[in-house]
Amino acid sequence: MTGAASRRLPAQAGELVDRSRPLAFRWDGRSYVGLEGDTIVSALLACGVDVFSRSFKYSRSRGVLSASFVDPGCTVQVDDEPNVRGAHRRLAAGMDVRPQNVWPSLRFDVKTANGLVGRFLTAGFYYKTFIKPQRLWPAYQQVLSRFASGGVTSRQNAHGYYDKRYVHVDVVVAGAGPAGLAAAVAAADTGAGVLLVEEEYELGGHLRFSGEESLSTLSELRAQVAARPSIEVMTDAVVTGRYDDNWVAVLQRNVGGAIERLVKVRAGVLVAAPGLIERPYVFAGNDLPGVMLSTAVRRLVNLYAVKPGERAVVLTANADGDAAVADLTRVGVNVVRVLDGRAGETIRRATGRGRLQAVELEDGTVLPTDLLVTATGWTAPTSLINMAGDRPVWNPTAARFVPSGDGLPPTVLATGGLVGDGSTDELIAHGRAAGTLAGDRAQGRAGGGVPDLACEPHPGMFRASTHGFVDFSEDVSSKDVVAAAKEGYDSSELVKRFTTATMGPSQGKLETINTIAVLSEATGRAIEDLGTTVWRPPYAPISLGALAGRIFEPTRVSPMQGWHEGHGGVPLLAGQWIRPDHYGDAAQEARNVRENVGIIDVTPLGKLELSGPDVPRLLNLVYVNKWSKLAVGSVRYGVMCAEDGVVMDDGVTGRLDEDRYLMSTTSSGAATVWEWLENWLQTAHSDWRVHVTPVTTAYASINVAGPKSRELMQRVVEGVELSTEAFGYMQVRQGRIAGVDDCVMWRIGFTGELSYEMHVPASYGLHVWEALLQAGEDLGIRAFGVEAQRILRLEKGHLIVAQDTDGLTRAHSAGLGGMVKLDKDDFAGKPELAWHERYGLATAPRLVALQPVDATAVPPEASQIISSNGDILGRVTSSRMSPTLGHGVCLAQVDPAVAAAGTVVTIRLPGGGDIRATVQEDLAFVDPEGVRLRA
Amino acid sequence: MNQSPPSFVGRRARSLRTARRGPARYSAFDLIRRGALGTDWPRSFSQPELRGTYDAVIIGAGVHGLATAYYLAANHGMTNVAVLDKAYIGGGGSGRNTAIVRSNYLTPEGVRFYDRSVKLYENLAVDLNYNVMFSQRGHLTLAHNDSSLRTMRWRAEVNKLQGIDSEVIDPDHISRLVPYLDVSPEARYPVLGALYHPPGGTIRHDAVNWGYARAAEHLGVHIHQYTEVTAIHVESDRVTGVSTNRGDIAAPVVVNCTAGWASTVCDLAGVRLPLITHPLQAAVTEPVKMFLRAVVVSGSLHVYVSQTDRGELVFGASVDPYPSYSMRGSLEFTEELAGHVLELMPSIAKLRVLRQWAGLCDMTPDYSPIMGVTPIDGFLLDVGWGTYGYKAGPVAGEAMAELVATGKTPEIISAFDLARFAEGRLVGEKGAAAVGH
Amino acid sequence: MIRIPCPHCSARNSAEFRHVGEAAARPDPSTVTPEQWRVYLYERSNPAGWITETWFHTMGCRRFITVERHTVTNEIRSVRPAGSSGPEPAEALSGRADAGSPDAGGQA
Repeated sequence: MTGAASRRLPAQAGELVDRSRPLAFRWDGRSYVGLEGDTIVSALLACGVDVFSRSFKYSRSRGVLSASFVDPGCTVQVDDEPNVRGAHRRLAAGMDVRPQNVWPSLRFDVKTANGLVGRFLTAGFYYKTFIKPQRLWPAYQQVLSRFASGGVTSRQNAHGYYDKRYVHVDVVVAGAGPAGLAAAVAAADTGAGVLLVEEEYELGGHLRFSGEESLSTLSELRAQVAARPSIEVMTDAVVTGRYDDNWVAVLQRNVGGAIERLVKVRAGVLVAAPGLIERPYVFAGNDLPGVMLSTAVRRLVNLYAVKPGERAVVLTANADGDAAVADLTRVGVNVVRVLDGRAGETIRRATGRGRLQAVELEDGTVLPTDLLVTATGWTAPTSLINMAGDRPVWNPTAARFVPSGDGLPPTVLATGGLVGDGSTDELIAHGRAAGTLAGDRAQGRAGGGVPDLACEPHPGMFRASTHGFVDFSEDVSSKDVVAAAKEGYDSSELVKRFTTATMGPSQGKLETINTIAVLSEATGRAIEDLGTTVWRPPYAPISLGALAGRIFEPTRVSPMQGWHEGHGGVPLLAGQWIRPDHYGDAAQEARNVRENVGIIDVTPLGKLELSGPDVPRLLNLVYVNKWSKLAVGSVRYGVMCAEDGVVMDDGVTGRLDEDRYLMSTTSSGAATVWEWLENWLQTAHSDWRVHVTPVTTAYASINVAGPKSRELMQRVVEGVELSTEAFGYMQVRQGRIAGVDDCVMWRIGFTGELSYEMHVPASYGLHVWEALLQAGEDLGIRAFGVEAQRILRLEKGHLIVAQDTDGLTRAHSAGLGGMVKLDKDDFAGKPELAWHERYGLATAPRLVALQPVDATAVPPEASQIISSNGDILGRVTSSRMSPTLGHGVCLAQVDPAVAAAGTVVTIRLPGGGDIRATVQEDLAFVDPEGVRLRA
Repeated sequence: MNQSPPSFVGRRARSLRTARRGPARYSAFDLIRRGALGTDWPRSFSQPELRGTYDAVIIGAGVHGLATAYYLAANHGMTNVAVLDKAYIGGGGSGRNTAIVRSNYLTPEGVRFYDRSVKLYENLAVDLNYNVMFSQRGHLTLAHNDSSLRTMRWRAEVNKLQGIDSEVIDPDHISRLVPYLDVSPEARYPVLGALYHPPGGTIRHDAVNWGYARAAEHLGVHIHQYTEVTAIHVESDRVTGVSTNRGDIAAPVVVNCTAGWASTVCDLAGVRLPLITHPLQAAVTEPVKMFLRAVVVSGSLHVYVSQTDRGELVFGASVDPYPSYSMRGSLEFTEELAGHVLELMPSIAKLRVLRQWAGLCDMTPDYSPIMGVTPIDGFLLDVGWGTYGYKAGPVAGEAMAELVATGKTPEIISAFDLARFAEGRLVGEKGAAAVGH
Repeated sequence: MIRIPCPHCSARNSAEFRHVGEAAARPDPSTVTPEQWRVYLYERSNPAGWITETWFHTMGCRRFITVERHTVTNEIRSVRPAGSSGPEPAEALSGRADAGSPDAGGQA
């Protein structure tokens, strides 16, 4: 856009904008045109727009301050993305950019009224009010939350694609200013692999906007980097954190194919070269649009060819401020006054309505102006080295914190402006030395030293004689800091928390030093005594998407899952496993098991193969019952307890051969039990000869159950005699099923029917499954799912660990007391179980079966069992309508006082109301003698 | 030996008399008056001289220590009390937690205990004349499988029997309360239901810490910051006092109200604890416009999230998987957290994490605290608070004050005694504390 | 992400391991009193300093190892297979970041 409002300058050496490529975009509802290479803010400035946001509390107009990533007034909404850093983000064609935190508009925001009552709305004012009446607090809160700044998010936003990358590299260099570039080159020359990370879109740091000579040096350095293929360069990327053992996080923003990428680096050596961040000056009006830092001016003029104003006053205390004056003069800005901080000169305040109109000096002179530039000092962003253990020290001569060097491991180095000051050549020399040392150390060599880089003296200029903002994002003024200190919030941590200074989006980079300096004034304590608040990661904000990457959540399925899905299996998520809950009618599936034969996929069952001569010793150790006399071909049910006697897992174990056993565990306990066994074998009994092999997924497991199951098995099994006498209950055999060798089958009875559980080599699982279905068609075979199995086992009173037991249930409270063989030498949990049996039984809960008096009642699981005066006596742990019996059946954990058979208990229903239920003699409702099991 | 304290300590000593004259009333009227006149607010807390003897010494100026001191003074008239902290007020767990308050626990004794705390929090702003910003915006614990749903129902039923507002709600109701939540059955961990607890919510933890400190000081209690206990003196199994970096104090009662340092402090008295210290990390995003009212917790996904009045999302998860005293934080914490949060709310991928931090949690075998007497006469404990300490500040302070003042352990904390471990009497709270919030 | 120098696999990210607990001698169950047993079950020294503890290399060699780690700095000074005697200095097992990759020697 050209015309009277255009602030675009003629071509500048080193400019990033491409005048041949205009880009159209929208801002605050209107159309504008910028250039490729512009940032959003530089494009708008070039068009004459200089207000980009309204502040958080007082809704003051804000413009450019630093023209960098952390510029507090330049945060905007771009399309669906909130909180975009407009002074860093490159303009793209078609962007729809909108101001944040304005109501109703940027021009006129009603919250400006807050500015009128500012003296009452000091930091922390909300602690002192809204106390009474208490019931109005929610309403007050709604109003306060309207002040919340920040962009908008929407439910309709897509997740988007993000990914991650791992890098193992010798040297990471964070920052590509002169020192960082030199370090990368030098490290590469030692033979090291290097990752060079730079926050801006191009390399160079301040060399990009510091004049012709710097540009020429920059060009050489860039060429050196490009000539070394062992240097990987990432731009628009930032090292966000250094964690234990040089685990370094890099956020890469401008990466093709993904919105952002989190790169996780195990760095041999990290070289921190972030440079320095220019610090704002504190004075009345320091947030007015038109007040900016010298680096902002130099960037705008040299990188984006934007004229920052027409008439300027400059307060400079260093060479960079002087250089800004030269830049302004060169491009035709009328510099009406230059004040030298080194000579003690300063300003009093800046004034204007909504933007800068004049600057007032200490002697009362008022200078009309539209641009005030300050260059009053630097802050070292010591984040990365803090995270590595360095505690920076205050250098009063240089008026900034510098690394102390103590506490840093040998694998973290600092170079460049972070460490000290110097000419470009001196910074390059320092970088080169640091890079060489980094490369040497990363490759296991001792390496040489790094010369000192001294800090130049700099006046300590923090605040003028008036009060101004110390935190622009949080609208905290120096007055607030003084008041907080007077009230007793006078340590750096307390003042930060009370005023919220440094808690905004730039997390202290522009705010910490000024806050501490004002605190120092207010308390009379030196800055070095106050210290700073802790710099925490991330150094730059990282999106949730980048942190999450491609979210991998593996699921596990059996080889028969495809069949289940194709036959109406409704999926149930059980841990990582997906299994069929039912195929349309669980009650019918259960009935069919009791009447004909059912088939269920139980592959998720945990399975471990144990081999070796000492397996019985291991079984005796981990189970509460006895295993020494388990014969070949026999199976036994076992319960495992932890060392506190609490039930941990249960399952059956069968002896296949002399030295070969198959152990089953619960599905969710498979990994835990495997580790448990290994723990005992490796740490306590390394002399035992036992091998443990997990075979949960090596076998597909199928259970056929029902009175016709023997008949079915006879049609598919070869090499095993299936009569009751030859293959009885709790026995195991190996043989061929449906033509597949090496199958294991055992007769156990979770469902309470005659049943065979088969473990088939997994790749043949589907074949055997389908073969059984085909062979059993005329027998009425039907697949049944987890829900039907739950009904069947409940009818039989078989407990499920972690459902009918909890984190405190000992074996006796699960009806398993009889299994505990205290005459064994030692087993996991023995001492506690022994004492429990001796002293604890009278008060420990019991597992009982309950039958609701009303035949139609099925109390929801977890319903509480209560006494007449409302005390809790227990809870229902399992509950279903029994299709076999036609009434509800439950298991419950109850107080021993009501555990006797025949007791009538009261169950409080979650929906309201109470029902009665009777404690049963046996846990099993169906076939308590187990006749059907043993057929 | 004794380190020299920061130079400010002791410089502005105030007499007991002067301390009793403060603090000024806080109200909208006073805010306007002082604003109009431009007058300063008086100090909220001072730096008193360290006496050589106190009736009770409390170690730890977090919410538990400060509340204990306040209730000692307010409920029992015991004001010759010192609260000692090696750093600044509320600098430990009390300043690092995510400030969730609720009472929907699993065991009847747990529910009674935390409910008392909620009731105290509800009136705290008025009691302390300091706005603690208790926002009872509702608390949801999501269930992603039937085992979890069963546990939610167990908690709801126990809660209801104690008169606590708690119920299990279905995905439709959840969706109305939290529109951003993905309740579709296609999610990897579909939401099957949730435990909804309307009185649960968030509080401004710094305000609670400062409110208690200010009020306790006003009643005469001494709060000594930057005062580290270096020794605990015991003679014939009875405590006689402590040594600090600022001098020795004789006292017949010493209370350990620390978190993260419970074991190291108890080591000074020769008392061993069943505690393991783990870091607990948290993170906060940049602010965005309010879109989340309730506090949302997912046990299966090990994550909880809420949105502050400033618009920032605050997240937490479980403790770090190995014990440590490091508060440096880790990248893997934020990675896992972000993954789980986006599984719950896929549309917020572009929100950015601004800051992460960590505090230290002392984990006990039964997810319940350790409160009351020890084998050393006069040496008392209020420790083992794991990931659930902040919500219990008021009730713990009230009960510990009663114990200190009367010598009798109040019934409300009797289940949390140290002796329970030796006697095999663990508390059954594992189900409710899974992600600890 | 700290690294654990596994004696079998060299330095690997801690996410591959499971922290089991402070190493403690199991008392003889046949002679122990309830109080002593519960000291073993529950009491911990929980130091802010060096600790001897057990880790399990879940996603690697699946062996239990005994590690000496500093709980404040997370520095590791020795490792050895659990149940064996004689600690091995950790530096011998740390080394370069890619020591655990397939082409480096010494892969278990």
